[in-house]
Formats: sequence, C-alpha cells, structure tokens
Amino acid sequence: MNRRRVVVTGIGMMSPLGTTAGDCWSSLLAGRAAVARIPAAWRRYAETASTIWAPLPPIDWAALGIGRIEQLQIDPSGMLAITAATEAIRDAGIATPPVDPRKNTYRLEFPAADRCGVFMGTGVGGINSFFGNVANHLLSPLAHPGDHPDHDASALPPMPPRFSPYAVPSMMPNAVSALLGIRWSLGGPNLTFAQACAAGTVAVGHAFRAIADGAVDLALCGGAEYVGDPYGGMFRGFDVARTLAAAGDDPRRANRPFDRDRSGFLFAEGGAAVLVCEEAEAARRRGARCYAEIAGYAENFDGYSIMAMDPAGDRIAAMIAAAVQDAGGGPEAVDYVNAHGTGTAVNDEIESAVIERLFGRRPVVAATKSLTGHCIAASGGIEAAVTALSLFHQTTHACHNLDHPIRDLNFARQAGECPIRTAVTQSFAFGGHNAAVVMRRID
Amino acid sequence: MSDDGIRERVASTIRDVLKVDPDSLGSDQRIREDLGSDSLDSVTLVMALEDEFGGSITDNDAKALATVGDVVDYISRRVAEKSLA
Repeated sequence: MNRRRVVVTGIGMMSPLGTTAGDCWSSLLAGRAAVARIPAAWRRYAETASTIWAPLPPIDWAALGIGRIEQLQIDPSGMLAITAATEAIRDAGIATPPVDPRKNTYRLEFPAADRCGVFMGTGVGGINSFFGNVANHLLSPLAHPGDHPDHDASALPPMPPRFSPYAVPSMMPNAVSALLGIRWSLGGPNLTFAQACAAGTVAVGHAFRAIADGAVDLALCGGAEYVGDPYGGMFRGFDVARTLAAAGDDPRRANRPFDRDRSGFLFAEGGAAVLVCEEAEAARRRGARCYAEIAGYAENFDGYSIMAMDPAGDRIAAMIAAAVQDAGGGPEAVDYVNAHGTGTAVNDEIESAVIERLFGRRPVVAATKSLTGHCIAASGGIEAAVTALSLFHQTTHACHNLDHPIRDLNFARQAGECPIRTAVTQSFAFGGHNAAVVMRRID
Repeated sequence: MSDDGIRERVASTIRDVLKVDPDSLGSDQRIREDLGSDSLDSVTLVMALEDEFGGSITDNDAKALATVGDVVDYISRRVAEKSLA
C-alpha cells in the first residue's frame, strides 16, 4: 500500500500564554511571555536555586465543559488534554453529537469510530494527584495526634481533604489518552507515550505513521502535562538537577534560549496541545480547512545519559536527517526549524551546532519555549501546533530575549511574515529520546 | 443553615453526579435502585458530598445512606454537630 498523505485540520492549545490556540498564537506573535515568582508556599519546603516559573492563566474549567464532579475525578493533566482536544475537534469542524449525557461523552461525526485513534504524550501524567493522595496517606496519622505522640503535627502542612476513589485513574499516565477516547467514543488504537520532554512529538509522529500506513483515518495527537503540585515537588526535582533558569535581576529576561546569558529553562506549570490529523483525501472530501501536511517523522535514542544529551550530537543529527528524508526531501528544502530550544547551557550548544551542521544558516530558527516556558511533554504538542500555524499563516514568532545568539544561525529575531514551505519541529528528552516531525505547507 | 438549604445543596450534588432532575428527587427515592447509581457513582457521590460540605464521610456512614432522605438527614445531623459545613 502506498503511503497515504496526512493533514492537520484542527488545533487546540492550553499554555501559560492562554487557554485557546488563538490566544497562545497571538501572545507568541506579540512576544508576551509568561513568567512569575513561584508560589510562596513552596518556599516552606525548600530554598530552591530558581524562584520563577510560567504559571497557567486562571482557568474556568466549568465554562470549558468540565463540570465540578469531573474536576474532582480528573487530574489537571487530563483536564488540559480534554480542553485542548475539545477546541481542536471544534476547530476541525467535526460535529460531536452526545452519546451519554451522564458520562459527558460524545462521538465524532466521522465515518468509523474504530478507525479514529488517540496518540498522546505525557511525562508524568497525574503526578499532581499522586502527590495529593500520598500526602493524605502519609499525614493521616497526624490527624489523630493523640495516637502518635512522637509526631509534631504543627510542623507539617494541612492534610489534603480526602484520599480520592479516583486516586489510581487520576494518577495513571495513560489517562490523558483514555479520557479523550472515552469522551469522543473513539475505538481505534489509544496510545500514551512517555518520552518525557519529547513525548508530544513522538505522539504526533506515531499518529502520522498510523494514518499514513492505513491503520487509522483520524487521530487526536499531541501532549499534556501538569506539574504545578501544591508542594513544589516537581519544581524542586528539576531545580536540584540544576536545569532551571535563575531569576537574575529581571525575571522577565531570565528565559533566553540560544542566548549567551541563558541559565536554564523556565519551568511551566503545564499545558496541552491536541492536533486533529486526518488522511488528506478524506479531509478534502469533507471540505476541511488544512493547516499543514505532516510529511515525515523519525525518532532515535542517544544511549548516552539519563539526563544529558550526547555532546557529539551525532544521534540527533542522524535522527533529524532521517525525518527530512522520510518527508522525501533533503536538508536544503527546510525553511523553518522549531527548535527544542530549552535555554540550558549544554542543550542549546549541542542543538545549535547540529542545526548548523545539517541546514547551515538558511532556515529560520524559532524557540517557542522562550515564550511559553517548558511545558515538558506538552511542549512537543504545542510546538507541533505552532509549526502548523506558522506554515498556515506563513508567519513566525520571535525568539524572546535573544540578544546575543550563541551561534550565527538565522534565529527569528522578530515576529512577522515568513515564507515557509517545509518545517521541522524537534524534541530531545531526559532519558535520551529524540524525535522530529516534518511538516509542509498546503499548496 | 436551614434544612431547605441543605436539601437544595444535597439535591444539586446528586444532580451533578447522577445527572437527574433535582425537582424530581423525592425523599423516599433509593439512590441505587431508583436513581441508577452504580458502585463507582456511589463513591463519587460521597466524594462530591465531602467536597460540597467540607469534611469526610466514613465508609461505614456512607453504607447507611440508601435514600435521598437518608443523605439529607445525615448531612443535616453532621452540620448541626458542626462536623460538616
């Protein structure tokens, strides 16, 4: 069977920049970055080296279709996934008649539900629910101090109000995919990818392959993450590893991928992006608006370190080259690279060298994390969405705070018109997972 | 809080969990048999009541709540004792 063509027909996005794809996109173009001081309560547990993060905006979940009972049942990572998918499906112009109002489920008005799949990435799934329930469990004895005279209850935080009957389904990482499959009655393959910061990109790539190979006709794909636990535990985990941006004199200037004065990545509270991808011919028949074609994918593994990229960069170079080849072109065809661009000293050094080695200084290079902060596994989905939007609008956002580039590449220094025919979005993860998706403009 | 206020909050919580019309709720209605609550719905209802009234409801207490009236009486008693709000 010849490989089928795949197009992006719907986009939904939640990030520190906004709660819709439109808000995120306009903040990106306007250079409105997200940065704030971390919650004061986190400082009660540890004095962290970094003191800044990119919080999500206030979210009215009920207004977004997630009622108060679902808010008790579903981890924020799952709610972010559902909200982004809701927007993506609506954006794709696919009707969703209700199936079971009691379960808040729907179906997609699309030929065959068992040929519609879900491919989502997440780094740590329901870590927030895990923390809440474990804290309840660990602190339970302190609710009855008389029984435990050795404990000093006053030294500890208040106990979370309940151990939830949804403790397991809200903490399991596969919930981000399962929730979408349940909500829209999708009977095809339902997969969750856990390649940390590359998981969203891996998910989009596997959705592309499943459609191209004929296994499914439509896929919801992307990534979702929520790491803003009330104890600051996840923040501390990245902080002790010395990966986070220091606030410096001006926190607004702290997040600066590919800049000489970068000091680490800006930890984001969370985010999600979901793309509706379809077989191109079927999308054309139903008159769908297409943002971009997904034309190629590759992935590989560094096999080097659980936390550091191989400084040689050979594996990521081979992987990106393979993705470009999979799309049927050569490196000279690539006009735009949505870089992983975290802002850590080592990653940016290696990635910028690889970009120069493969593409020279011709393609425009954009670092979306310079504005969104690092949304962990959601970032691959967000950056795939931004890449599709950049192709559709023939416009790029700028690399925020890039005053002194570490290499002479064609970094996007200001937002604006940008002719793009072929684009690459790439991600590299803790563990050593590397992945890149190639997209093309729809002619 | 008045009994009517508690009844209304219980009814709206049951409506949110079981998606039943609150106006159709009668005190004698059985939560399992008449409102179609399965075991997962039942733990969800207890969780939602805990959230609504700000406290915890033990498994033993929850087991005794068979009808809508049982829930209203139980919550009213706990609110009077000031162990729920």
